[in-house]
Amino acid sequence: MKSKISELMDGELGRDEAKGPLAALGEEGEAREAWRVYHLISDSLRETGVLSAGFAQRVAARLAEEATVMAPLREEARPMPRHWFALSAAASIAAVALVGWLAFAPQQGAVPGAQLAQVPQAQPVAAQAIRPVAVVKEPAQVPPPAGAADYLFAHQGYSPRNSLLGVAPYVRSVSGESTPPKP
Amino acid sequence: MIRALGIVLLACAGVAQAQTTPDALALLRRIYEATEKLSYNGTFVYQQGNRAETSRITRLAGRDVERLEVLDGTPREIIRTRDTVKCYLPESRTVKISRRGDRRAFPALLPERLSDLARHYTITRGETVRIAGYDCETVVLTPKDDLRYGYKLWADTGSGMLLKARAFDDKGATVEQFTFTQLAIGGVTRDKVKSRHAAGGWRVEDASDAPASLAEAGWRVAAELPGFRKVIEVTRKLGESRPVSQVVYSDGLAAVSVFIEPLAGRAEPVHPGPSSLGAVNIYTRQIADHVVTVVGEAPAASVHRIANTVEYRRPQ
Repeated sequence: MKSKISELMDGELGRDEAKGPLAALGEEGEAREAWRVYHLISDSLRETGVLSAGFAQRVAARLAEEATVMAPLREEARPMPRHWFALSAAASIAAVALVGWLAFAPQQGAVPGAQLAQVPQAQPVAAQAIRPVAVVKEPAQVPPPAGAADYLFAHQGYSPRNSLLGVAPYVRSVSGESTPPKP
Repeated sequence: MIRALGIVLLACAGVAQAQTTPDALALLRRIYEATEKLSYNGTFVYQQGNRAETSRITRLAGRDVERLEVLDGTPREIIRTRDTVKCYLPESRTVKISRRGDRRAFPALLPERLSDLARHYTITRGETVRIAGYDCETVVLTPKDDLRYGYKLWADTGSGMLLKARAFDDKGATVEQFTFTQLAIGGVTRDKVKSRHAAGGWRVEDASDAPASLAEAGWRVAAELPGFRKVIEVTRKLGESRPVSQVVYSDGLAAVSVFIEPLAGRAEPVHPGPSSLGAVNIYTRQIADHVVTVVGEAPAASVHRIANTVEYRRPQ
């Protein structure tokens, strides 16, 4: 199994070949121990800086905070790319968090169970970010556009109601032009 | 069995009630003709939301000139002739001018089209009431779906002159209302329809339009709202000469305009989403570096639906 883990880390395993080692990494044991040790070795060889303690928790916390940034998707025009971006971004960070935890757990010497509970939260966060998008049906009111009177003036000339009301509806295009709306 | 019969009878009564009547159409026609033929001078109140504004309106039928002057606040003024509308804003020393480029393309409510309205509205007669000293007959246009507002019109029994007009939503709530508080028919002289502003040295914003094709520029608006068809497509300038394209859709009574303009060079931020000004609903979108603004005297959902159909494809 250790050699399989080594190959997995080097990206040498195919999709199906990787299934076994990945399943083995899912639980505490020889495979996970090997994963930690190999990462420690490779980091030492490359002189990669050691991440500070609690890195995984902070990433998870930041993810939870940033989730709302992904929510205000209103336009139906091209929702797919943004959804996928949101998902893949969250997934990337989740992956980083997972790798970080797996690699540094021995150094931190913390209880793995506590961190294990933290990391998977990245997934529900991504789900929360997407859900409001589907719920938003009636978008919130925005202030009328700048120069709304210009639009009304241009529009009014083509309203058939003029035939019944004469010039009267034009009052809309100058209404409140100089007086602020009453509260 | 008896209960079922009762329901059937009730349904029949409902159908019988909800039918356009010839005398209601006749009254609508009278209002139309009076608006065309009468000279008058009067004061009306425009109500929208919690705002009410008083204006004076004068029409000289022979020359086809109308003058509207807002009596509250600064004296803003609008002069309309057959193909030109001038809007005088003394506070900003600005005069806005809109001249129709294509005179044939006047989407007026033509008398022969009045009966077409019955496809989307149930047109019935209402009660007789007194408004500004005139005995008025009423006509109610109830929409057959929730894509348009309903209207109630009060017209002088003698002349057919419109004394009051109310637009209402699907819950029957008033969205806007015009009511004459005083009206004198006839006796209008030329000087009564002249602007009180010389407007010398004022800034001129020319919003005159010219025929155009949005499809050639890559735009597609599939306004598939039942009853709304395209009546005109123009280009014009708005405000401080911002070039815009405008397409107008109408069901014969309500109209919705789609404005499309480049995003570049806009000083103000764009807020995508719905907004409203009384009976006029607005929906703003940003598409392909352009701002799409849909403006219409229709419920917010209708304006939103039209806005959602706007598409851009780079022309080949």
